[in-house]
Amino acid sequence: MNFRLRLALLFVTTLVAVQVFTALLAYGVARRALIADGERQLAVGAAAVAHQLDDISSRVADNVQVLSLDFALRAAIAQNDQSTVLSALRNHGRRIGAERMLLVGLDGTVRSDTAEPAGGAFPFADLADAALDHPAAAVVALGGKAYWMIVVPVYAPKPIALIAAGIPVDDALLAHLQQLSALPNTLELVTLGADGRWTGIAHGDNRVGIAPALAGRELPLQPTLVRLDASEYVVLATRLRESERSTPVAAVLGYSLDDALRPYRSVAIAWASLVALGLAIGLIGALLIARGVARPIEKLAAAAHRIGAGDYAPAAPMIKSDEVGQLAAALSNMTLAIAEREERIRYQAEHDAVTALPNRHAAEAVIRHALSTRPAAGALLMVGLARLPEIIQTMGHTISDRLMRDAGARLRPFAARGVVARATDTQFALWLDGADKADAIAIAFRILDVLGVPYQESDLSIDAAPAIGIALHPVHGEEASTLLRRAEIALFAALGAEDPVAVYDASTDPHRPERLTLMTELREALDRNQLRLHYQPKLRLADDRIDGAEALLRWQHPLRGAVPPDTFIPLAERTGNIRRVTRWVLASGIAQAHDWAARGHALRIAINLSARDLDDADLPTRVADLLSLHAVAPRNIVLELTESAVMGEPDTAVQVLKRLADLGIDLAIDDFGVGQSSLAYLRRLPVREIKIDRFFTQKLGEDVGDRTLVRSIVELGHRLGYRVTAEGIETRAAFEYLRDVGCDHVQGYYIAAALEPDALEAMLTRDGGATNRGVRA
Amino acid sequence: MHVGMPAIAAWMLVSTVATAAELDVVVVDARGAPAEDAVVSLHGGDAPPPRAAVTREVDQRNETFIPYVEVFRPGDRVVFRNSDRTRHHVYSFAPAKSFEFVIAPGGDTPAVVLDRVGEIAVGCNIHDRMITHLYVSDAPWVAKSDAQGHAVFRGLPNSRYEVRVWHPQLRPGKAEPEQAVDVAGDTATLRFSLPLLADPRPDPADNERARY
Repeated sequence: MNFRLRLALLFVTTLVAVQVFTALLAYGVARRALIADGERQLAVGAAAVAHQLDDISSRVADNVQVLSLDFALRAAIAQNDQSTVLSALRNHGRRIGAERMLLVGLDGTVRSDTAEPAGGAFPFADLADAALDHPAAAVVALGGKAYWMIVVPVYAPKPIALIAAGIPVDDALLAHLQQLSALPNTLELVTLGADGRWTGIAHGDNRVGIAPALAGRELPLQPTLVRLDASEYVVLATRLRESERSTPVAAVLGYSLDDALRPYRSVAIAWASLVALGLAIGLIGALLIARGVARPIEKLAAAAHRIGAGDYAPAAPMIKSDEVGQLAAALSNMTLAIAEREERIRYQAEHDAVTALPNRHAAEAVIRHALSTRPAAGALLMVGLARLPEIIQTMGHTISDRLMRDAGARLRPFAARGVVARATDTQFALWLDGADKADAIAIAFRILDVLGVPYQESDLSIDAAPAIGIALHPVHGEEASTLLRRAEIALFAALGAEDPVAVYDASTDPHRPERLTLMTELREALDRNQLRLHYQPKLRLADDRIDGAEALLRWQHPLRGAVPPDTFIPLAERTGNIRRVTRWVLASGIAQAHDWAARGHALRIAINLSARDLDDADLPTRVADLLSLHAVAPRNIVLELTESAVMGEPDTAVQVLKRLADLGIDLAIDDFGVGQSSLAYLRRLPVREIKIDRFFTQKLGEDVGDRTLVRSIVELGHRLGYRVTAEGIETRAAFEYLRDVGCDHVQGYYIAAALEPDALEAMLTRDGGATNRGVRA
Repeated sequence: MHVGMPAIAAWMLVSTVATAAELDVVVVDARGAPAEDAVVSLHGGDAPPPRAAVTREVDQRNETFIPYVEVFRPGDRVVFRNSDRTRHHVYSFAPAKSFEFVIAPGGDTPAVVLDRVGEIAVGCNIHDRMITHLYVSDAPWVAKSDAQGHAVFRGLPNSRYEVRVWHPQLRPGKAEPEQAVDVAGDTATLRFSLPLLADPRPDPADNERARY
């Protein structure tokens, strides 16, 4: 039930209740007043009836008295002339309208009777007795009819007899009485029947008889309310002048409440009409008022719903100045505030705070939208600033943020064809609508031109070294997220390559989804000890003894078989799993070193570290703990790092290396010669050994250039105080040449492949550990 | 003392002087008011000697019989005189004597001999309220009460008497009240209290006969 209906109902019910109550009250008051009026009328009427009957009876009595003075009658009576008397009585009776005339002797016997044989006693002796003093009259019941019995003496001239006249008090007479006076419209004479019930013996011009209502009651000498014929009457009885010898006779007057109420019926109808009219007007008014109150509220509710659904269009202004109006104004203000705040939140959610460019999420949405509406073609360019991490670390975020903002501003014009977004801290994404590969590459080079201008700030000039990866739609992906990911992969490729622009190449993508699976499985392998370390012996050329071995990681996957380290190590490095791998390798390698030392094999175990491990400041501590745990001398452990891993590493990495060196552990530079090693930089590091990359040693037998290079490296290394190890020795020629140039150690298939620890130990045992085997062949 | 009885009283006074005794009968109505015109008759003792028959006149004046009550001895006569200027139609239906005369103004009737004992009510057929009573009695002693209700008998021989009282307004059909009294040379008093009907005669003050 809504507000409007309830309000209307309240109005209507109140109105109806008040009207009904008033009507009942008025009816009750009117009814009581009418009853009181009826009682008054009845009292007056009863007295009037008695009085009029008395009046009439005394007139009749006078008539009878006059008759009684008729000389002839008196003579006949005095002379006891029966037949004359009887005829005279009849004659005179007719004159006065009597139905019965009697001549009664002074002794009370009936001497003549016009109705019955004479001789009996006159039944109303009291009347006869009183008649000598004055004309006696009473209303009596005789044979079911009412009579005035009037008794007068016959004077001749002294009383000689009595004449009794029975004059009917009949319906006509009562009706006449009613007409003559303002008597209530119901008048009835009742007598007590033989059965003790009041029975009507005469009634006036009545519609109903009252007598039945008196059944079982006392005579209602006080006004009494009775039901007669389904109507209500007030009745009042009055005893008439009666003879002691007659059964009681009373006049009963009835006052019909219904009749009395009849004049009020039109009033009641008028009232009811007024109530109905008032009700209708009230209902309409209530509905109008309710609408006036409810409609603005409904409007507000609708507006609130609209706001809830995200529609912040301003509501139609409400001119009202009442509470509803205030509420509407407040709602309107709130809407504006919400819209503003939501706009801000949405902007923040979709934009990068530094560059004010859309963020990756927003860019993805834009690209998704573009793909859905224009699915023809498009290119996603991922622009990375290679040097940014370094800039952040060396100059802080303030500068880097300014640089990024500047870069964003420079990129912004390219948004004309699509969207420019900041994809990550160091990357911008640029979506080119409808661009094909050629377009994309052309634009990529224009971007490089734009970004290649160093960022200038006061005395700073920073080259951020931009690179761009490109993913093309639809060849490289149907979805925005895929395109973003693949463009990023292409960017990584570009960052590590000479050419700063790279197009995504699915075959070199290390981030195909199965790689993630591989990492999950790598973690499981670590947990389940599915990884193994194999050891490739290192031969000391000075005495042809195997005095060391490089621990090489092997993963025997239960389903995939042997997984090459080239596959999962870079992945582990990218996914942050490499530290766990390193920890495992360190623990396993040091434990093995302990085993061999315990069994009398003096082997220096070389363990590879990743560049990522150098970010781990806890690494030296962990290595020290492992050494002491396994009681392995630090000098029995060599930690190998690739040239590229140590180059350009920040001071933290250098600190880690120094702390490791301080432990007494030798550090070796792996793959020496192929990277962009700076010998000056290298000199700052606590390196004890360099390992010449297999790139130089594999063709050592025939390539004069390589020979010269290797000889130079060995000499340089020795002069700088490094031990020199050559890797990838597969031929006797290489082996011999290295021995000739004074290389310290060699390592390769020519000596031995990487072996399981047992196999290596077996080999050491067979060779006696110090046997110069010379060559394998 | 009643006007109608001087002869008897005088006679009694003379004849029974030696044994004279007196009886005073007082008649009152139910309210104790003196009842005039009551006829008191005594039975018993030695009867006085009978007197000669007389003729008495009942006048009609102002539509009234005068007197209202007259006592007669059997054999006495009555004459009705009309002193009014209207006619009167005098009648009686009494068993003791019934008659009917129309008397012209100033006229009178022949004497009517009342030879039988009894009460004779006489009325006028023209004037309903005119009534007189002729009381014919053979009782030894009879007297009519005066305005004070006294009927005094003097010179009564000592004896026991039955005293009866009649009054025109006694209720008809009832026996006459009766008392016994011993008279022994002294003055005896006897009191009768009678329930009387209303006086049928018109009010003497209503000269115009306006009330009916």
